[in-house]
Amino acid sequence: MRIVFKKVRTAKKWEKMRFAFLCRQRPGASHHKVAIIGAGPAGLSAAGFLACRGYEVDVYEKLPIPGGMMTFAIPKYRIPLDSIMEGVEELRDKFSVKFTLSTKVACGERRDEGDELATNSLDMLKLAEGYDAVLVATGTWRSRRLGIPGDDAKNVMSALEFLLDLHLEELGLRAGHLGSFRRVVVVGGGLSAIDAAEESLMKGAQEVYLVYRRTIKEAPAGEYEVRRLMRLGVNWIELAAPKSVIAENGIARGVVFQRMKLGEPDETGRPRPVPVPGSEFEVAADVVIAAIGEIPTPPVASECGGIGKYVGKDGRMTVDKTYRVPGTNVFAAGDVVTGPSKIGQAVRLGLLAAKEMDRFLSVKTLVAR
Amino acid sequence: MPDTGVLLRVIDYSKCMGCETCEAVCEFIHELGPFIKLYELGGGVKRPISCFHCSKAPCIEACPTGAMRRDSQGAVYVELSRCIGCMACLYACPFGIPDYSEVTRTSIKCDLCRVLRSDGLTPACVAMCPSRAILIGGPKTVGDEVKKRALARIVQLGET
Repeated sequence: MRIVFKKVRTAKKWEKMRFAFLCRQRPGASHHKVAIIGAGPAGLSAAGFLACRGYEVDVYEKLPIPGGMMTFAIPKYRIPLDSIMEGVEELRDKFSVKFTLSTKVACGERRDEGDELATNSLDMLKLAEGYDAVLVATGTWRSRRLGIPGDDAKNVMSALEFLLDLHLEELGLRAGHLGSFRRVVVVGGGLSAIDAAEESLMKGAQEVYLVYRRTIKEAPAGEYEVRRLMRLGVNWIELAAPKSVIAENGIARGVVFQRMKLGEPDETGRPRPVPVPGSEFEVAADVVIAAIGEIPTPPVASECGGIGKYVGKDGRMTVDKTYRVPGTNVFAAGDVVTGPSKIGQAVRLGLLAAKEMDRFLSVKTLVAR
Repeated sequence: MPDTGVLLRVIDYSKCMGCETCEAVCEFIHELGPFIKLYELGGGVKRPISCFHCSKAPCIEACPTGAMRRDSQGAVYVELSRCIGCMACLYACPFGIPDYSEVTRTSIKCDLCRVLRSDGLTPACVAMCPSRAILIGGPKTVGDEVKKRALARIVQLGET
């Protein structure tokens, strides 16, 4: 087989995320219309695939800028904003993908983080009626709360709220709520905790404490990342869990922690942290960040014409092997299906779900004819 | 010297965050893939590795049937119909790159997305990397970029 290679045209091929990496232009327009709810890595990858298959693609996003966690949670030095935005512009200008921003699509009432930035809202079921298929790629925009006395203080927040606030200010979209801070306590040992602690340092915090209930060996972010932050000057405290927030007039002044020791393995196979009686200690803080996990936020918060029963207790959207909510034209992919994961996993599921949507709609067309 | 048609792909490990996007898109488009894979190095650090498309490729030298070839853009690939699955290429490769496929019973490896390139497109791993950590282009283009990035780190101009 002899392949003649076409010249790869412009010089720098790595500058932007080419979500439509499978084609140069959208092939002759299809008569199918699809909607994608959520413009994160899963939604944008699916949009690229479907545009390359000729679909008319409309993307709905609750935040004013696309990219999801890539734009609003991950530090900019890891993912340059232009890399995402130029990719989005290419989808819009070259592949006729329509972006409707600041628009929350949902069925039923539930407040998720970042919802306050949406200026419009659309009903999910009505939206689904207007399209041949819909992909739900709404990610994990709710955070676990500490659930301890005093955690309702004004300066106690989730990692997501904290990172969203910083990025909104950085992007000139909203004045930051935080003001300046000197001492930050981050609770957690995952990548959100790492990002929150590192961004705190970059924003000029003088003392940053990263507190985790197990040891560095069990930290989900990995020992390497924790040690990297320690080198940057973050104070790592392991084997300690928060017991209460010390607050005065609704403002947190610090956190009371209790020492832990490692016990028998729990259901996740990791050693269970067991409180050590009488081992409480205080860490002063003017910002307290809970980075103890994010929860999936499907656009389904009630019965929703039968779709509601496909939302699990943990908030995850349940789909069949073809990423479809059985009996509907609704598909789902990304973190809303798996829970928090890496970008690559979201991209993978976005592409796989998009492929299944294409198959579903192609079969439907054949049958109709 | 200006760039000719030969492509060089370089992974910039100072930019890579181990997000696995390269592996995901590679696996999506190659039934037998992925051909860029992340491995855990301990401490939770995962980084990708793929074929270097060596200009004096030992795998091509070692291949007894001429199945391991190079295309006009310098990409080393396996012509499956000629491969006998002896894996001499794997023995020859200093980086352990060629894989054995139980499906085709041949050696398989990265071909820098031949099908995409034949349409003037960029290999998927480069096209989708969020952190601009996978570079491709002529040796001059890529060489200049790598040096500029190193310079920025030395002079601490921040990120480029």
